[in-house]
Amino acid sequence: MGTEHSHAADADDGRVHSHVASAQFYWGIFGALVVFTILTVKVSYYDFGPANIIIAMLVATMKAGLVATFFMHLRHDKLFNTLAFLSAFLFLAIFILLTYDDLGNRARLDPTYGGTVGLRSGEAAPGGLPATSATVDMTSEEGPPGGAEKPKKE
Amino acid sequence: MANVSEPVHAGAAPGADHGHDHAHPSFLQHHFDTPAQQFNASKLGMWVFIVTEILMFGGLFCAYAIWRALDPDVFDQAHHFLDKIMGASNTIVLLFSSLTAALAVRSAQLGKKNQTSAYLIVTILCACAFLVIKFFEYRHKIELGLLPGHCFGHPWFSGSIQKGETIGTCLRVHADQAPGNPTWLKAIDQSGHVQLLPPRANMFFGLYFVMTGLHGLHVIIGMSVLAWVLVKNIRGQFSPEYFTPVDLGALYWHLVDLVWIYLFPLLYLVGKPE
Repeated sequence: MGTEHSHAADADDGRVHSHVASAQFYWGIFGALVVFTILTVKVSYYDFGPANIIIAMLVATMKAGLVATFFMHLRHDKLFNTLAFLSAFLFLAIFILLTYDDLGNRARLDPTYGGTVGLRSGEAAPGGLPATSATVDMTSEEGPPGGAEKPKKE
Repeated sequence: MANVSEPVHAGAAPGADHGHDHAHPSFLQHHFDTPAQQFNASKLGMWVFIVTEILMFGGLFCAYAIWRALDPDVFDQAHHFLDKIMGASNTIVLLFSSLTAALAVRSAQLGKKNQTSAYLIVTILCACAFLVIKFFEYRHKIELGLLPGHCFGHPWFSGSIQKGETIGTCLRVHADQAPGNPTWLKAIDQSGHVQLLPPRANMFFGLYFVMTGLHGLHVIIGMSVLAWVLVKNIRGQFSPEYFTPVDLGALYWHLVDLVWIYLFPLLYLVGKPE
């Protein structure tokens, strides 16, 4: 990959020494991103069950990695900027996983319900979801196909 | 900037804010010792800002994860109303605009002013194309009444309708005549299948409109930032020694791309194919 430097790279003279990649290199990255996009759309026409979302997120993460590493110059940037960037995903993971864990388990803490209150009928759990149209519908008996299901017993 | 200052040593002249004994490039602000220090500080600031942006979208991604876990069947059903091909086209448009943004930075690094302008203009045009495609997608959802919250089933562009009356490809079905009873929607999805959407499908379309809406707002802001950078570039304010606004503007634009890279599969692709 033909790369060039606008200045001598080793000099610590206070000037800005940024890495300049070749235009062809950027076009190559774009080509890879397009291939990944076509791949993820094609794959979506097949059913892999629960793996659907995992495959889609893996491809998306590879695309995001290409954009961040090369288009956003993290490859030749200060390592600290990469760490700052990645910290966002660490905190995002903490946020989502703990919220998910909370919603899934809060009913179990209540001895009255003995852990039988599932995620789907959260309105019965103290501190559970407020009774929105979503939670109310889920407990209704009738409903068209693909619609309401009865709360699962755990 | 042909004449950049001699190497400046940190702490060489403490407190000497105006009495410089060295040539100071015009772009170098007084509280920085060297252009490199200024550049690195700007970059770090931008990255920290990008982190806050990711965490702002994070709230919506979290809401998506929770509601999808609560109601996977309806999410699966509702996502068939999104057009994969339009979504994929928008993805390609945004990826291409990211490419031209990166090439604009490269041209600025090399001091090719006109080339930088050209790449910035292409990037802004791609942003416009993205918004036009998004407009057609939004119009389709609004016409079918696939709207968030209490607007779900509301025929905004189809005039007033009675219960059970067909409007275009969309039919409102009331399970009960009781006032305040939520509306079921019968409509034809992207594959031509008739779907009966329960009222709580409004959560999917709520997340769809808020997530893509916030992203669309970022597209508009990104366009404005790039237009401002373009004006500065045409005025000749950049050089191989100083191109920070081009670099940071492009970083913001890549962030817009990054968010879309995740929004596209989450909203358009995951779920059982029909």
